[in-house]
Amino acid sequence: MDKRRSLVEAASLVEDGATVAIGGLSMNGAPMALVREIVRRRARDLTVVAIVAGMPVDWLVAGGCVSKVVSGLISFEGLGLAPHFRAAVQRGEVEVEEYSEHTLICRLQAAAYGLPFMPTKAGLGTDMISMHPDTTRHEQDPSTGEHYIACTPLPVDVALVHAHSADSQGNIRVDPKLIWMDNEIVNAATTTVASVEEVLPHRDFVAEPHRTTYPRFMVDAVAVAPYGAYPTANFPRYSYHAQFFADYVQATRDPSAWAEFWQTRVVGPAEQGDLLDANGGPNTLIDIAREA
Amino acid sequence: MATNPTEVPGYGCTIDELMVVTMSRMMGDDTRAFNGAVSFIPVCAYLLARRTHAPELVWAASSIAIDADPKRIPESTLSDALWDGASMLSNSPFDFWAMAQGARYNTFAFRGAQMDRYGNVNNTVIGPYDKPKVRLPGGGGMADLSCMIPRIYLWSTTHDPRTFVERLDFRSGIGWGDGGDHRERLGLPGGPQACVTNMCVFDFEPESKAMRLASLHPGVTVDDVRGATGFDVLVPGGEIPVTAQPDEEEIRLLREEVDPTGARRREFS
Repeated sequence: MDKRRSLVEAASLVEDGATVAIGGLSMNGAPMALVREIVRRRARDLTVVAIVAGMPVDWLVAGGCVSKVVSGLISFEGLGLAPHFRAAVQRGEVEVEEYSEHTLICRLQAAAYGLPFMPTKAGLGTDMISMHPDTTRHEQDPSTGEHYIACTPLPVDVALVHAHSADSQGNIRVDPKLIWMDNEIVNAATTTVASVEEVLPHRDFVAEPHRTTYPRFMVDAVAVAPYGAYPTANFPRYSYHAQFFADYVQATRDPSAWAEFWQTRVVGPAEQGDLLDANGGPNTLIDIAREA
Repeated sequence: MATNPTEVPGYGCTIDELMVVTMSRMMGDDTRAFNGAVSFIPVCAYLLARRTHAPELVWAASSIAIDADPKRIPESTLSDALWDGASMLSNSPFDFWAMAQGARYNTFAFRGAQMDRYGNVNNTVIGPYDKPKVRLPGGGGMADLSCMIPRIYLWSTTHDPRTFVERLDFRSGIGWGDGGDHRERLGLPGGPQACVTNMCVFDFEPESKAMRLASLHPGVTVDDVRGATGFDVLVPGGEIPVTAQPDEEEIRLLREEVDPTGARRREFS
């Protein structure tokens, strides 16, 4: 079956009210082109699961798409706090169900494996556990008396990931295989939607099957999006765009500057290439090219 | 944005540099460390220790890039620009979390918007959780790694009563918990070893596990520390030592090789 879809078609698989998990790690490998289409189609009432993220969550919140964030860490690191996420939570418009990274991974693993819980020592003695005692239960092993946290399943409707390449059937390569927690969200999700830098012939996947990361039957739609992680990185091809993050944070300080920034530099540009053009064009490519 | 940290009187360096060197000297050849987000001071400390007294030290940049030797430290300590020179890029679930939960790694440093006397840290909210005055980024892996890793180091570039508080608004990561044998009762390994601030170094009193003044940076008095700390600071009897002066070579390596662009100053704003 041909799994190739346009970005618009792929993003439409995220229905209003869905629980959507977003791949990547902080400044790396977020499915930004898909996120941008979800914002542009004005999705509403999403529960967003993001283990360690920044820009994708901030775009979705800025677009009014989100009612709840399930997360471990949301920030722009040395480039600032995620401004819309922060403001919306402080205004009470977006709820945050915060976990530690590993308890969130364990909840996704429990969902993926079909188990009632996954045990971990992570989070013992912290408020990260006591604030949601139903989903992270502090228990003691009846045989050894050891303390652990039982993390209950976190079912996900749609996983969104960005990868290096796919074939038309939906076999996916993350190459090099730096998948961080993307694997957990793909395994936990009912539907997986991937954007990729390029589509390769199926024979390339057969010639080097050890390079395949997700098999076609785990993947529901593939959208071609060169620079689809921009302004986050797609290692080793390009890095994150520090200037975009800095300008973004700066623009949020003034409502009229923000309205223009949002329109001209985030949601307005038609295709992903137009988005790069709107953010510096050839200079952007120089900025994000990784040094050899 | 980064500002210029203050000069340390008589030491020929600035406070960020004294903090890096002080933390670096706490590391050894048996240190097996990694780092999380916004961790400029410890990243510099690991790289400096490896160039000076601890060549065998293991450091996984961003918890991913083992033995990395970056040319510069970028705006994000979880980003690819930190990975140059690595001999292995780990992917999280299979490599990193197994090595962390199995305590193959033994050293972790973290900070937060608030810290209490037992080295517990808040990076989640200021004010009530449901109606926060300030929504912070979140604890990330703090709650995990503070439970898994035996040698915990804390640091703060903002030693004031808003940071060092009597009671946290939220416990994102555990230090010595409620103090005493709390970690042991939970079955957690080790605990916080030291806290390096822009005013002083704390260690932890062995019985109560409360923060105790270990050394004062030049020009700082006991009263200054007491005034800047929101809980009662344990002050041992006798004279409190002054934090040791960095060698010229340590400062040169830090400025020229480890962190030529001054990313460490991003923690001072």
